[in-house]
Amino acid sequence: MKSSFRIRAVAFVASAAVLALTACSAGSSTSGGGSGSSPGGDQKLSIGLVAEPASLDFTTTDGAAIPQALLGNVYETLVKQDDSGKIVPSLAKSWTVSPDRKTYTFDLVDNAKFTNGKQFTANDAVFSINRVKTAWTISLKAAMDVVASSKALSPTQLQVTLAKPSNDWLFRMTTRIGAMFSESGVSALATDPVGTGPFKFSKWNRGDSIVMVRNDDYWGSKPFFQQITLKYFKDATALNNALLTSTINVIGTVQAPEALSQFTSNDKYQVIEGTTNGEVLLSFNNSRPVFKDLRTRQAIRMAIDHKALLDTCWAGRGKLIGSMVPPTDPWYEDLTGVAPFDLAKAKSLLQASGAAGKTLRLRLPTLPYATSCGQVVKSMLEQAGLKVQIDQLEFPAAWLTTVFKNADYDMSIIAHVEPRDLGAVFNAKYYTRYDDPTLQGYLAAADSGDEAAQVDNMKKAARRLSEQAAGDWLFLLPNLIVADKNIKGLPTNAITENFDLSKLAR
Amino acid sequence: MKRLNPSLVVGGVIVGVIVLMALISFVWTPYDATLVTPASRLLEPSWSHWFGTDKFGRDVLSQIMVGSRTTLFVGVVAVGVAAVIGVPLGILAAMVRRWPSEAIMRANDLLLAFPALLLAIMFGAVFGASTLTAMIAIGIASVPSFARVIRSGALQVMRTEYVLAARAAGRRPLPIAVRHVLPNVTSLITVQASVSFAIAVLAEAALSFLGYGTPPPTPSWGRMLQESQEFLFSAPRLAIFPGIAIAIAVLGFNLLGDGLRDRFDPKLEDRR
Repeated sequence: MKSSFRIRAVAFVASAAVLALTACSAGSSTSGGGSGSSPGGDQKLSIGLVAEPASLDFTTTDGAAIPQALLGNVYETLVKQDDSGKIVPSLAKSWTVSPDRKTYTFDLVDNAKFTNGKQFTANDAVFSINRVKTAWTISLKAAMDVVASSKALSPTQLQVTLAKPSNDWLFRMTTRIGAMFSESGVSALATDPVGTGPFKFSKWNRGDSIVMVRNDDYWGSKPFFQQITLKYFKDATALNNALLTSTINVIGTVQAPEALSQFTSNDKYQVIEGTTNGEVLLSFNNSRPVFKDLRTRQAIRMAIDHKALLDTCWAGRGKLIGSMVPPTDPWYEDLTGVAPFDLAKAKSLLQASGAAGKTLRLRLPTLPYATSCGQVVKSMLEQAGLKVQIDQLEFPAAWLTTVFKNADYDMSIIAHVEPRDLGAVFNAKYYTRYDDPTLQGYLAAADSGDEAAQVDNMKKAARRLSEQAAGDWLFLLPNLIVADKNIKGLPTNAITENFDLSKLAR
Repeated sequence: MKRLNPSLVVGGVIVGVIVLMALISFVWTPYDATLVTPASRLLEPSWSHWFGTDKFGRDVLSQIMVGSRTTLFVGVVAVGVAAVIGVPLGILAAMVRRWPSEAIMRANDLLLAFPALLLAIMFGAVFGASTLTAMIAIGIASVPSFARVIRSGALQVMRTEYVLAARAAGRRPLPIAVRHVLPNVTSLITVQASVSFAIAVLAEAALSFLGYGTPPPTPSWGRMLQESQEFLFSAPRLAIFPGIAIAIAVLGFNLLGDGLRDRFDPKLEDRR
């Protein structure tokens, strides 16, 4: 018996050692499965990302991961944004706007081809614009409602007539709703995207990766890499470990900022830190009775110490914004002072509104920033007198269905990465269920006025949102990229919907 | 007087300490285990925080104390589910005729082919990740081991003279199962429960580590391990403390199981 006990003691020490080793290597062991797509030759690249698309069809499926992968790479738009946010030519070489600002005439490139072999013409542009209005189902399609008609003046000339002047429409044409489709290439958008871009979709290993290969018939400058694999990781540490073990060459967006020091102190890697459009929003379901009272919404904003939250859940990286506008937009104002952290005032507001002691359901997507910030938000709101119940919903499928489509939630946390998305996120039809005629008035005036009126009214809209506490803007996500030292062309700022792969080189 | 069995004693003490820690945590912990205090984040172990604090400024010792509740809860649920289904199934398989018995055991084998963690992840995907769903799944996955062990024990009991006498006297199967078979396989049930308890604790830790177990911010040793990943280089203690807690708990339940087996089966002890 004594010897048996000794054996067990030895086994215990061994099991403790194994457990410690398991913890140390755990990240790499859950690295999203092996796809066999590790970078090989010089012309292949592998990029690690965090949220895998639910489908490849952004005409019917919401989520930022689809345009991130496909827009600008497989699909192209007539116009696009450059790194400074300026609208520049893409499939349209140039364009003119009529004096009444209602008619746009585009001159299109004459040598672009879809990957199914069809020539890109103005008829495809007409088809694509009309299709947004007739076949798309996502809420962002509303930006195309302003188009009264579109017609092909010639194979390379397109005319679009708006029902009223719109500052926003041309900008929206740089986003996913401006993607150009081939009439014969839309039968299987969810699995087989066909575009004119510098890359061709090759395959999708669900749960693991999307593979794209260079489009050798591309009409513009051909990309450097022959093949680029986008690998998806649910676990932030696994993503870091994948770069450390050379499974990937680039971390497209760092999800474990606390562990960044392991890269900054290593000469093998470059760390890029810039800004994004990604407003991390503590969203309120404004259709729920508890959120009808302005005092409750304001109390929630004041109960959160945003600086402490950013330091705790995202290692202090990112920027506090105070409304739905990032600093890269022309109408940005620092609105962090509108609802400063004031626990005593938050408590009294909750008492006055009668919300103190009520339980709110915080439904979080399984994304690292949401899980981390959700715990801080819960603790801070409970100190102010609310009760918070956290539910985790698998992202994207369960979260999109429960929170985004059915609005079955009280509060949630998600980063909205679409550019200039204030009006899209805060309206009665979106999952925030925010119905505010005053806000809509500012947005309409911003869209129809001249440039100065646009900036002025958008500032008013952002301030209105902040003062009405339509949600709480926890912080703006930083653009944190880590890559092998020799990778060039990585963007400092991520201010568009897409991850431009065509500029990458070694 | 019979000599004390070291496995039983050490296992009993470890399990006793965990139970005590869980009970104390209901009335007292050094700090609120879920209170986020940004000013106190990532503190080294000290007199005020014996095990230090995590990235949210939460006291690690308090989390380990409250986490022991989760550990015991998962063990009770998983073993309860496994025993409630597995024991009657094992006794039934021992008492019925050949082909129904074979059918039960082959169905059992089929369930055995499902890895417990995979079953728990499937349950989590369908019913939502929670401690309870994970443990029901682990419990169901543990049914075959209960049924197998209990069937072998029950088969031996069925051949004893008192059962043969009861059958000859015209006793119906249910009273025989309840009055004669069940009491004589309780030692097997206890040993199997103790071993399954250890497996369930480890499974919960693994599931929470993967994000399919206890949701945040409820303290759980597996979740603590998961959240410590970012700090393996800068603050490895955040992984070490819950790792040691899991290892000790699993060891404790395994030793208790071994000790109980030795206690209930003196022949086995003599052979050692």
